[in-house]
Formats: sequence, structure tokens, C-alpha cells
Amino acid sequence: MMHRLIWRCLPAVPAVIALLAWWAWFAIDRPPPSVMPSATDVVVTMWQLAFGGRLAGDILASLARLLSGVGLGIVTGMIAGFVAGLNRPVASFLNPLVVFFNAISGIVWLPLVIGWLGIGSALAIFLIWNTVFFIVFQNTVLGVQLVAEVLELSVRSLGGGRWETIRSVTLPGALPYILSGIRSGLGFGWRALIAAELVGATTGLGQLIFSGAEYHRADIIVGGCLLIGAIAMAMDRWLLLPIERRTVMRWGLVTSGRGR
Amino acid sequence: MAEKIEVSGFRHFFQTEGGPVQATGTIDLSIRAGEFVTLVGPSGCGKTTLLKAIAGFITPSEGSIVCDGKPVKGPGRDRGVVFQELAILPWRTVRRNIAHGLEIARVPRVQRDATVTRLVGLMGLVGFEDRYPHELSGGMRQRVAVARTWAADPEIILMDEPFAAVDAMTRLTLQEELGRLCVATRKTVFFITHSVEEAVFLADRVLVMTKRPGTIKAVLDVPRREAGGRDWDSFTSDPVMQKIAGEVMHLVHAERV
Repeated sequence: MMHRLIWRCLPAVPAVIALLAWWAWFAIDRPPPSVMPSATDVVVTMWQLAFGGRLAGDILASLARLLSGVGLGIVTGMIAGFVAGLNRPVASFLNPLVVFFNAISGIVWLPLVIGWLGIGSALAIFLIWNTVFFIVFQNTVLGVQLVAEVLELSVRSLGGGRWETIRSVTLPGALPYILSGIRSGLGFGWRALIAAELVGATTGLGQLIFSGAEYHRADIIVGGCLLIGAIAMAMDRWLLLPIERRTVMRWGLVTSGRGR
Repeated sequence: MAEKIEVSGFRHFFQTEGGPVQATGTIDLSIRAGEFVTLVGPSGCGKTTLLKAIAGFITPSEGSIVCDGKPVKGPGRDRGVVFQELAILPWRTVRRNIAHGLEIARVPRVQRDATVTRLVGLMGLVGFEDRYPHELSGGMRQRVAVARTWAADPEIILMDEPFAAVDAMTRLTLQEELGRLCVATRKTVFFITHSVEEAVFLADRVLVMTKRPGTIKAVLDVPRREAGGRDWDSFTSDPVMQKIAGEVMHLVHAERV
């Protein structure tokens, strides 16, 4: 019982240590507030922004862009990944393009895409898609190619056609890699989102942080970063982890208990 | 025409970067309906290649394969396959693995459940229906593989060293259970092994293959099993069986690689 409780609390320990270190730094060294705000300042500022400020609107705007961009990236990345993973000619046709465009960072697109799409959500969604697509695509291709051939053969000799084989073998078999791609995609999606919002939006957490920078308000910058990290952690824990528990972990494709 | 499987003039080459490699010599073979035929041979002799060609996974370089009067063009549900390595789906429970072929054939739920229940009973899987494969022992998983193939009710069943990866004790049990299952269901079985004892124990007819590129060098008839199937106790004490096993052993021994 006690043992279980300790395990459940373990993920919170690094956060507590970081907070204590932050607090101790201020108790000992007292850096100027424009360099690094105190934890108290950050909490007070975020509190003010939350009640009577723009915080809720910024969070919603950012989340809407993130989820649309990531969702679009996952769907297109998986479809393209399946097509390329299942067809060697398509893969060799697509690969140079993928390598080419993957090397071009989102920031490079910004000036061009502002011209095409203007300032706003479409721009952010494009940049997020541009990040997530490649990660999900490449993971899906790998996952599809690594599914054991014998599983496909076994389903075909049960009378399964191509579609049945994809549905009941390739998709679940590639899922550990796809989920891993989605996890990295979400993280890099956040990065792209904030980069896009810094210059290409009027609302959102990126704009909040940008305004903090303009007024030399380190408390807003740090508060914004903490919020992004916290939302990302919450999404990983309450969105992605339950999916993994019900699928790849339940099937024994990945283990959660190793080293325990 | 009672021939269920008809292999004539079969020969296969694999294309490699160093040119074609001959996998088998010329093989002619016919298996009658309801017959249990085992094939023994040294590793690399091409026995799996032959099985894969009958299953429709590879197209023969030369010769033809006809099952039930129809030339083999690809895999199909008339020919079930039990593989050597684990080929059941990790993401399906025991029940859903066994029912898979019936799901594909759109057999109604009630009928599917009845078949699963019957095979779960026959294969000693009662109580494990809702487990996932990773929660089972190697022997149990192979029982699921056998049950899944039988559930789809193909007339021909191809087995490629299905018990090679399970421990020796479990293997004896599985072999006896397979014997009983075959008596109960009367399938045409083509079974590949490198174990002489296994080949003679299960078969109506044993084929012995030469080393690569393999051809069939001998065919031995094994007296028909009794209604209750075979068991290892009577097999080991039966002088007729031991004599056949000795002959096969002698033939296989000469093909050491």
C-alpha cells in the first residue's frame, strides 16, 4: 500500500526539487527580477492574469491551434506513412522530398507563409503541421516496415485480404512507433506553436510571452513557460498514457514495469 | 480424384544478389484427402520452401501445385497454416485470435462463439479465453495457433515445425493432442519437422528429403492410427512403430549436413 503510494508520487518529485532549488536560489542570492523572477512573483502574476486578464483566452487560442495542427499532422502523417510503408516505389519516390522538406525549419517558412495565409491561426496550424507531419510520417513508415511478415501471412491464410491485413495486423503492429511519433510530435508541436505565435498571431501563449519580453517582465515569460510545460505534461499523462495503457502496454508490445 | 494436394515438377530458386540459389530439387508429391503426411529432412533442404509454395506465399520457379483441382495462385482460407514462430496476433485475446478466421468469413456471432468454445475445450485453453498472448506460456500460445487455424475450418492444414519452439515435455502433450484433434476432424495435414519420432508418431505417411537442394528420397507408410489417436506410451512400446522410426532415422542420418 505504502509502496504503491510512493510509486504514484514519484513523477512529482523532480518538480518539487526544482521548486525548492528555485526558492533556495532566491533565499541565498537574490538575483534582480528582470533576470529571474521569484516563484512568488510568478504565482501572483499568473493569478492576476488568470482572473481579470487574458490568460484563459490565450490558453484556449493556443490549445485550439495546437490540437488542430497536431491532429492534422497525425492524420496526414499516418496516411502517408502507411502508403509509403506498404509500397516500396512510393517510399523511394517520397523519401527525397521528405528529407528535403524536413531539413527546412519552420521559422524559414514564416515570412513566406505570412504572405500566403496572413497573421493568425492558419499560420500557426501550418507550422505545427509542418513539424508533426514528418515525425509521425517517419515513425509510421518504420513501424509498418517492422511488423513481422509472418503475422500478415497468417491472416492472409485465414482468408484475410489486403484491407483486413492492414486493419488487423499492420495498424496495431505499427502502433508503438506511431504513438512514439505522436508523443514527440506533440512536444515539437508546442515549440512550433510558440514560435508561430511570437510573430504571427495576436493571441495565444506565445503572444503572452512576447508581450512579457517587450515590457521586460520575466515573471510573465517564466509563468508562460511553466504553463506550457504543465499543459504538455497533463496531455501526456491524461491523453496519451491512457491510450498506451489500453493498447500497446495491454498487448505486451511495450512494458511499463521493467526494472521494478 | 481423391488427391487433395498435387505437386508436380516443383523446383524453386531464390533470387539473391549473387545470382539464383537453388532451394529445392525437383519434387513430385500427392496427398490424399484426410491423410496426415509428415516431411522430415535436414535443415536448409527446402522443406519450408515447399510448404510456402503450397500455402501460396511464394510462386514456384518451376512446376505446378494444385489443391482440390485448382491451381494455387496465392494464400487462401482453404489452406490453413500453423507457423513455427509465434504468428498469433499479440493485440487479440485468445478468444478473438481463435475467432479471427470466422470473423473474416463473416460467420454470425453465435456460431463463432460455439466454435471458439469447442476448440478452447479441445486444446485445453479453458479459463484463458480473455488473456492476451503475452500472458501465456509458449506451449499455450502454440495451442492458440493450432486452434485458430482449425477454427477457420480449412480442408488442408499446413504445419511448419509448429512445436519446435516449445519445451520437450509440452511438445509430447501437444503432439498427442494434435493426433486426437486430427482424428476428431479429419483434415488433410502436411506437417514439416526435423524430428524423426514426431514424423512417425503423427503420420499416415512419412516423406524423407535429401539435403539441399532437396528431393524426396523415400516414402514410408505408417499403419493407420486407431480411433482414439496415438499416445506416446503405446508408440514407444510398439515394435512396428519403432521399426519404422529406426528406418526413417537411418534415412535421415545419411543426409547429415
